[in-house]
Amino acid sequence: MENRKVAVVACAGMDKALGSVARDSIFKVVEVLRPGKVELVCLPPLLAGVSAYSEMVKNLPVVAVDGCAERCATKLIVKNGGRIRGRVLVPDSAKKHGLTPKSASDIGSDGEKLVGIIAEEVASIVDKLTEG
Amino acid sequence: MGMAVNKVGIISCSGEEIPEGTISRIAALLVLEKLRYDETVTICLPLFLAGSEEERVFARLFPTITVDGCEKRCAEIGTKKYSGKPAATIVVTDILKKYPNLNLKSRDELSAEELELAEKVAEEIAKKVDEVLEQKRGPKRRES
Repeated sequence: MENRKVAVVACAGMDKALGSVARDSIFKVVEVLRPGKVELVCLPPLLAGVSAYSEMVKNLPVVAVDGCAERCATKLIVKNGGRIRGRVLVPDSAKKHGLTPKSASDIGSDGEKLVGIIAEEVASIVDKLTEG
Repeated sequence: MGMAVNKVGIISCSGEEIPEGTISRIAALLVLEKLRYDETVTICLPLFLAGSEEERVFARLFPTITVDGCEKRCAEIGTKKYSGKPAATIVVTDILKKYPNLNLKSRDELSAEELELAEKVAEEIAKKVDEVLEQKRGPKRRES
């Protein structure tokens, strides 16, 4: 199982601050917390049906990070034949930790804290999937 | 349809793979929140393509502008597939050709130079918004 990677698909929602939190948190996982262990799957090509991206979610264990109850990341992974092995719903963590990000363009200090929390949650799922 | 067209839907790529996706997202937000606050609404691309009928109906009834980060043109392709041809399209990599010395690095936090590019892209989007609305309802003078 060495060199096994995990695909991460996150909400890229425009109209909610929690979409920005989802997006920022996976950058933190990919670039800071677990570089080399994660394939960041760009959501728009997955949505538009570009085969290289759907292959990625078919061939790797996938973690979905959803920014709202619509759960678009989850729906699109399933639609593309992916196997979801871990899920994070940003509004649940926001509620649990009492954090309210400001806006989509400026998530503010609560948003930054939430990015850190979500990123750690995703990193922990990545560890379980790559070590298990 | 008999409906006054006073809004344009902005559908932005927001792709996570390359810095241009972040530029498209920031530029679209600048238009939505500052440059053309009253004239634009956002259509959430994931929601739109994941099957939200509300988003798709809006994009069928109102003109849309797609903002794509790269040549894959996911926002444009998705819009054509589910709601019809966008009234205008913008691709960040096309605009970038005008600035050959600009080297984009960040997908996360934009540098001052990258933010400047996002502002230029936002101005192009705002110009397209005005053009689209003028076509639909006739010319109206406004400050940019």
